[in-house]
Amino acid sequence: MATMHLPKFEHICPSSIEEAAQLLGRHGADARLTAGGTDLFPRMKQGLTRPEVVISLKGLAIDTPRVSRNGDLHINALMPLADIARSSEVLEKVPMLAEAIVCVGSNQIRHMGTLGGNICLENRCTYYNQSHSFQFVEPCFKRSGDCCYLIPKGKKCVAVFAADTAPALICLDAKVEIIAADGSRQLPVEKLYTGDAIQPLALSQDEIISEVIIANPQAVRGTAFTKFSLRGGVEFAGLTVAVCLEMANGAGTCAAARITAGAVSAGPVRAVKAEKAIAGETLSDKLFQKIAEMAAGEIRPVMHHGYSVPFLRECLKVQTYRTLVMAAKRTGHNREN
Amino acid sequence: MKRLIELSINGETCELAVEPNATLSEVIRDQVGLTGTKVACGTGECGTCTVLIDGRPILSCLTLAVDCQQQAILTVEGLSEGETLTPVQQAFHDCGAIQCGFCTPGMVLSTTALLKANPRPSTTEIQKALEGHLCRCTGYNKILEAVQQAAAAVVPKARQKT
Repeated sequence: MATMHLPKFEHICPSSIEEAAQLLGRHGADARLTAGGTDLFPRMKQGLTRPEVVISLKGLAIDTPRVSRNGDLHINALMPLADIARSSEVLEKVPMLAEAIVCVGSNQIRHMGTLGGNICLENRCTYYNQSHSFQFVEPCFKRSGDCCYLIPKGKKCVAVFAADTAPALICLDAKVEIIAADGSRQLPVEKLYTGDAIQPLALSQDEIISEVIIANPQAVRGTAFTKFSLRGGVEFAGLTVAVCLEMANGAGTCAAARITAGAVSAGPVRAVKAEKAIAGETLSDKLFQKIAEMAAGEIRPVMHHGYSVPFLRECLKVQTYRTLVMAAKRTGHNREN
Repeated sequence: MKRLIELSINGETCELAVEPNATLSEVIRDQVGLTGTKVACGTGECGTCTVLIDGRPILSCLTLAVDCQQQAILTVEGLSEGETLTPVQQAFHDCGAIQCGFCTPGMVLSTTALLKANPRPSTTEIQKALEGHLCRCTGYNKILEAVQQAAAAVVPKARQKT
């Protein structure tokens, strides 16, 4: 294949994130934001998106992660992933985020890509992300057409959301600060995902994520993140599982839990029934096996990137179990066998 | 429309007229004429186009040249002084970590960045730092050896200085 070039566009460097939001509002669907460019530029080279205007956030100043007076951790959304994974505040307060970041792409991609960019990663599918020039004539749902090449009789797009940091942030109950052309708002990361593969993010045209805020943990907790992929490097997730176990005072009892799976559908999914079943229970191997089965029962993965549904279900069960065991070890309580 | 920009490449300032959609790899190769930076996939998977920007390994095929002003860009040509190779280049040479040489400029630059941040990396740390580089010749073992040899060569020198 000939070397791919970027199509022509107008390049604008705003001097603040507020100005960027106004530019987005003015240019509407013709504009795209870029910070690291690791997701946008490959898609532009493949002809999957053709913005007339590219708004670059590269020149904007980036604060280092800071802990506010109430103990919440604030991370600038423009911060490169590699810097976040090395930040002492992050490693101390939310090691699971660093654990998830290390799984993203390659070393170079982590140095370029930002946390905000990873949260807003475009959904992917085996067919959509191929070069289309030699494969298809009819566009699929995701390319504004009316067919699906993955599920030939399918009625909707099933492209998966595969960002690694999102399930971890959802388990950590993180929020995002969103700057719009006419103001700002906060939204839990969980609410950022619509579950619709065509419009995966609940952001309007002029909105930009400026900051990720992770609440100060109120109790002792154990967290873990695991990613399954075939080759183990420079690969989008086949499946990710993030677990956060919050412990009751003193005893080895779990007060509350969060279990989130990624790369299973158009957005990250929480295993709500399994989470409820673990609350109030004493951590044990038997419990983890039960919880893993429940999680695999309630989350319905879609077929993607060559992984079948039965395979992903089994994988979800095994991986949830392993992640629970890892998280439990990190609570500092020995579990019963 | 072309824009006039200034890029600092290997310590030299280059005044260039570039299109906004020109990637850094295109500008470095086609306009500046430094063809040591290779381009294979163009989509950020192979790592051959890696250059260092302010010491960070980045993919020049996914970076706009217009976004790189006021930053120190280092390509493989900026490493050696005349015919004197850097310890990393020497180690790649000594260990036979090169066959066709296409992935080597990127590998050498990523290794240089790794050893600067972490002079004694473990095998896992080396693998993690180089996971974004594909090599279709060597099978990676000799590259790992080369990085370990370069680390061993760099550390005693640093100690001598202190």
